[in-house]
Amino acid sequence: MPFCKGCGHSQAIRAINEALVELQIPPSQVCLVTDIGCVGLADSLFPSIHTVHTTHGRSTAFATGIKTADALLAEQRLRTIVLIGDGGAMIGLQHLVNAALLNVDITVVLCNNFLFGMTGGQNSAFSPYDFVTTTTPRGNIIPPLDLCKIAVDSGAEYVARFLATDKKIGSAIASAILHPGFALVELVELCTEYAVEMNSIEGRQLSRILRTHDQALGLLAQKHSRSEFTDRYRDKYPPHALSSSLFSHSVGGLSAPELGRRLEVVVAGSAGEKVQSSARKLCEGAMAQGLFCTQKNDNPVTQGSGFSLSEIIVSPEEVEFTGIQSPDAVVVVSNDGCHELQERGTFEILTPNSIVVADAEVCPFATQAAVSRLPFRSSFGPQNAALHALDHMLKLMDFQPKLALCQ
Amino acid sequence: MNSVTERRLRFVSGNQMIAYGAVAAGCRFFAGYPITPASGIYRTMIEELQGRGEVAISAPDEISALAYCVGASMAGHKAMTATSGPGWALMVETFQYALMTETPVVVVLVQRLGPSTGGATQGAQGDVLFSEYSVSGGYTVPVLCPSNVAECYDLTIEAFAWAERLRSPVILLSDKEVGMMNESVDVGILRDASDVKRPMSGGSLTRKMYDFVHPADIPAFRNVGGDQKVTATGSAHNKSGELRKNDPETMEVLLHLEEKIAARTSELAITRLDEQTGARTLVVSYGITARAAREAAKAARMCGKKVSVLSIQSLFPVPEDRIRQALSGIDRVVVAEENFGGQYRSCIDHLCAGREMVGVNRIGSMITPGEIEAAIV
Repeated sequence: MPFCKGCGHSQAIRAINEALVELQIPPSQVCLVTDIGCVGLADSLFPSIHTVHTTHGRSTAFATGIKTADALLAEQRLRTIVLIGDGGAMIGLQHLVNAALLNVDITVVLCNNFLFGMTGGQNSAFSPYDFVTTTTPRGNIIPPLDLCKIAVDSGAEYVARFLATDKKIGSAIASAILHPGFALVELVELCTEYAVEMNSIEGRQLSRILRTHDQALGLLAQKHSRSEFTDRYRDKYPPHALSSSLFSHSVGGLSAPELGRRLEVVVAGSAGEKVQSSARKLCEGAMAQGLFCTQKNDNPVTQGSGFSLSEIIVSPEEVEFTGIQSPDAVVVVSNDGCHELQERGTFEILTPNSIVVADAEVCPFATQAAVSRLPFRSSFGPQNAALHALDHMLKLMDFQPKLALCQ
Repeated sequence: MNSVTERRLRFVSGNQMIAYGAVAAGCRFFAGYPITPASGIYRTMIEELQGRGEVAISAPDEISALAYCVGASMAGHKAMTATSGPGWALMVETFQYALMTETPVVVVLVQRLGPSTGGATQGAQGDVLFSEYSVSGGYTVPVLCPSNVAECYDLTIEAFAWAERLRSPVILLSDKEVGMMNESVDVGILRDASDVKRPMSGGSLTRKMYDFVHPADIPAFRNVGGDQKVTATGSAHNKSGELRKNDPETMEVLLHLEEKIAARTSELAITRLDEQTGARTLVVSYGITARAAREAAKAARMCGKKVSVLSIQSLFPVPEDRIRQALSGIDRVVVAEENFGGQYRSCIDHLCAGREMVGVNRIGSMITPGEIEAAIV
């Protein structure tokens, strides 16, 4: 073993091996996902099972991906074990909590020796109070993280904590592997290189340290009240033949005379008043004639309030530049939309050849374009104002072929 | 382009088309985390894959999203995630891991205005170098860049084809304008995806994890859960996948990671050259700005100017042969891109020796055809 004399990692590795031997799982059906740190070197000790040595703290996330893919897309036979230290569990806490919440069928073996050994004995989030490390030379002043408690609170249904010297750890790991869902086995150790010397403590004092911090030993949770993640997923989303919707709803072009030029339209109004969906109907109507379109939508950061705006380009050829340069028509159906257009300077760039179709209630604005004001909102309701204003715009435009909104 | 009556038009966004392309390429695993302007890909993948009983799941952060995908790919399945600049910053660690372990995966990076959270709904082409130089050691990261919804589909399939064939993570570099805009597309002319396959190792059990002779060879893939043992590590390793420091075989593996991409530079090139006889100016562009460049050339030609346009879809490895060919007879190169300083210009500058280099750059909004036309003399 590549570990220091007396290091608990050796016991942890032996226990994992014992568990695999006891369960008689074929090696090709086991994947050991190791984290960074001394304990992560364990992958080299397993010559026949799959081993994936990952980045710091991320082992649980890689394992979740491996297990989920195998369970839902392949033969559902893989046993996935994560081997992680307390440093990895600190930086990768999110992945552990997430895996427990999912209740994905992986077994996490946490080797907690209260510090970072490989990098020189720095404190971790698991260091006990008053623990002396190279980076807490006067003693740690932050309470230690209790991953078992966090796992239980995250819905984990197999959680156990043992001293690494405990003879039961092999069978505990075997039970954890058999548990159909997320399982955590924490093994508490002392780093012989840094912890023992700096704290003048020895292994038998570990139980006392844990008691001081209200961290119980033994089997802390074992039940089966939640189904496993991939089982739930399969129930909810069973395999189903589905053809691509991309090809099923296409519109064929009519043999209409081609549009002579590019048409640019800006539609502006208020969020929640079907501005963008009405603009889309114009595009779909044009596409039914075989014309090409682009539609760009905009709204403030909060999507349900303030202005709502669409920029549309209709063209006989594929649209290259998608920006509005000189709008042929502007449709504005509310003051939110009007203010936005004023802020953008849209009214100012209109030429005498452009048209503006505005709701009668919209505040006055200055423009060179011909303005047509009608009471769309009061006549058809705010929800229908944009569609009717666009329809009116098309009637006013001298444009071949005559475009119509897609109904 | 099909004639009017033959067209089969659909009105879709670039983000949707990337999802459709991924499904066509055989992507069966997607993990997502919301971010504007990439969320449309996430949503469409949820609809498409969950509808088939395949895997589309929500990750608790971008780090997990890519790690889930890499794990799924190690188990043998095509996988993809999508993000924007801020999420990409978090994914870089796992992306490097995928490159080091030779795990195919596609990351869609829909660019938005930076730095930091920048402007979520403003387009940009500011992550070109952030994509390409995201891997320590100077390794070539394959990057594809679509300019419209049809290319979103085709290049997503291409990204999977590259990832699987090269055993490498691949970036599909889109942007807000291409991703969030709805556009008509003739679905009758889209690329076929039947060639996207992962070369699997069927060889003897004694073979090494990364079995290659010449550094440019690509070792066949073996999956976690398969009969052949997987030994993967993000640390420097020998051909057996075992962690080693500086031994000759380990150095060979590190060289191989670059060579397998670099040796295929020419065959990976995807460009579109609109050449005009007698032109002395070449406009080079990519992504959303390539569209402005093509329109600028059209306008310039109507004014009697002569200009050629090179639109680049495969940004990296830099398609050097194609660029050299396009430079024949050219003495002025205009590179238009939506970032400061000319990120891609800096990558092709060495190919354009002796020619005048002109950058058309801006941030915050699209470069207009007028701005590019002004640079065409």
